[in-house]
Amino acid sequence: MKNNLAPLIVLAVLAALPLLGLNSYVMHILILSIMWTLAGMAWNLLGGYCGQVSFGHAAFFGMGAYSAGLIHLHLGASPWWGFLASLPVVALVALGMGSVVLRLRGPYFVLATLAIGEVLRITCENLTDFTKGTLGIMITRTWVEKTQYYYIILGLAALAFIVCRVIVHSRWGYYFVAIREDQDAAESLGIDTTRYKTIALTVSAMLTGLAGAFYTNYMGYIDPGVVFSLGEISILIIMVVMVGGVATEWGPALGAGIMVILAEYIRSLPLIGVAYQTMFGVLLIVIIIYLPNGLVGDWPVLKRKLLRRGAPA
Amino acid sequence: MRNILLALCLSLCLVLPATASAADTAFSVPLPLTGGQAKFGEIIKKSMEIAAEEINAKGGVKGGKLVLRFEDSQGKPEIARSIAEKIIDVQKQPLLFGEYTSACAKAVAAVAEERKTPYVVVASAADEITQQNYKYVYRINPTNAYYASGLLSFMDKVVKPKTMVILYESSDFGTSGAEEMAKSAEKAGIKVLMKEKYEKGAVDFKPILSQVKAQNPDVIYMVSYVMDAALLMRQIKELRIDARLFAGGAAGFAIPEFIDNAKDAAEFVVTATLWSPQVSYPGAREFAEKYKAAHGDYPSYHGALAYSAVYVVKDAVERAKALTNEDINTAMKGVDMMTAFGQVKFESRDGYQNQNFIDTLALQVLHGKHETIWPERYASAKPVFPIPKWRERK
Repeated sequence: MKNNLAPLIVLAVLAALPLLGLNSYVMHILILSIMWTLAGMAWNLLGGYCGQVSFGHAAFFGMGAYSAGLIHLHLGASPWWGFLASLPVVALVALGMGSVVLRLRGPYFVLATLAIGEVLRITCENLTDFTKGTLGIMITRTWVEKTQYYYIILGLAALAFIVCRVIVHSRWGYYFVAIREDQDAAESLGIDTTRYKTIALTVSAMLTGLAGAFYTNYMGYIDPGVVFSLGEISILIIMVVMVGGVATEWGPALGAGIMVILAEYIRSLPLIGVAYQTMFGVLLIVIIIYLPNGLVGDWPVLKRKLLRRGAPA
Repeated sequence: MRNILLALCLSLCLVLPATASAADTAFSVPLPLTGGQAKFGEIIKKSMEIAAEEINAKGGVKGGKLVLRFEDSQGKPEIARSIAEKIIDVQKQPLLFGEYTSACAKAVAAVAEERKTPYVVVASAADEITQQNYKYVYRINPTNAYYASGLLSFMDKVVKPKTMVILYESSDFGTSGAEEMAKSAEKAGIKVLMKEKYEKGAVDFKPILSQVKAQNPDVIYMVSYVMDAALLMRQIKELRIDARLFAGGAAGFAIPEFIDNAKDAAEFVVTATLWSPQVSYPGAREFAEKYKAAHGDYPSYHGALAYSAVYVVKDAVERAKALTNEDINTAMKGVDMMTAFGQVKFESRDGYQNQNFIDTLALQVLHGKHETIWPERYASAKPVFPIPKWRERK
């Protein structure tokens, strides 16, 4: 029971935040942080627990986003149906993709995922009749208020948190970790590695797709360069997890908070604000060198170091 | 290590926002100041600063100084949206202006409309921005559909081509520019032999250009940003593709860097543009000279747009009864003024709302400089046509 206490408290605090009457700018930043938390948790399942580093999660993010956009464009339905529509679409593509790229290992797998993200972007740019290509899709947002969006993304993130927790603590979760630690050993123990890697990929992809569908509904405009972006989606998702903590429950949330809120804070500082990308780059390098397991993963190390330095000489 | 961190934190807290005095009018402007579109963000920023300086030298706005702050959106829509939300919520600014890429302008326009805050689009070209029945979104630059009208009339009267090839970068701007050109060409009886998209930022265009060479078109029309424009022309020169006319669709072809980068391959290239430093609008030449004196090069049409936008904003703010969203919105609708960019007046017609319509120009690179060649009443030089073949050039 104790294990369930912390998430419930965090959820309650987050759910109570809009009651404080925060302005819509702060709400926007919170919504973006939670959206990246969702995407980060999804990536973490595959990249963190199962050890299959994907550089192509923009593919799933973009497919989720386009599910919502296209359902509105072609069927005239509310883009909120994109959440439901994205699940089977993303799952099917992930299954197909898994059966091909999960046969590859290490850097080959990474490169294959990288390519798939880009292939989807270029496909989307060129299927002009179907996707409107680079002109993108514009939808009318449902609400002006941020509160509804906030609770929806919070709900999705909570769902993702539960899914990840249940999976990680189930038999599947142990298989994932076994695969990450040593694929051949896992195989020799009778784990069908390709099958479990595909499961991790599919679940991870579906959750990422939900984040994408939310993006469309929230931002009201998507184009292939934005939602299939390598640098701004795929890499950002990885950074969120790396900074926060790989294969930790709270890492993605902390990472997303840092990537969004800290970036926003540093950017709005006068004078040094202009160099925020440089500062941010340095910060990331420092974190990766000194805390390779991320802030959550290396928290004990961090605490010990700070305490030792703090003690009188 | 810990001390350094502490010092860093302290210094972060110490740098307090530079506040303007109460009588001043301060505006924050979202622009792409880093990333791929930074070049254009930079031109816009510098031009706005020149306008603000001039306005302040002449007494400022409503008795106070006009202060502009710039916020970097990196050309990413969600950051542009963050900035717009912040400007509206935290800074309580009653109007918005700025942004460059169409994707970002769409994001900002959506926020502006939802929050009932007037937004002046400065240089984003996608047609849809002013086709959404928005009541708070105004645009000074003509839309993509009109960018090439000056160039088309030049082709119609002088070049009279039969065939054309269109190359364009994979972006909103590139695609809609190419679509519009294909439509107009068809209407004018020009056969479009090939319409090919390339990856933004590509370095090797030779595979596409070899196909172009095989087609042997009369006109090669290209829609590109900075580097691609120069690379395309250099590789066209290397492959000795002799079309009767090389034409660019504004953006990358209409800025001075194009000539700097493409060198002699840029000679005789004709480009559509919205403005040029030699055009005869009042104040245009003065602005161009001032910009050149300060930054060493003539500004592109983006600069003139940004410079004029500040004057339009000043005009609306001064005529508004109070500094509220609604009053400024009413004042915006009444804008009818001559600027360095030409007449600015927001009209709703042809499916657009609150859109400024203006004649567009054609430039040609002559002796390593952009000269206005079309329409004839604004021309600063006579067009050179037919252009010499590559091997006849020295």
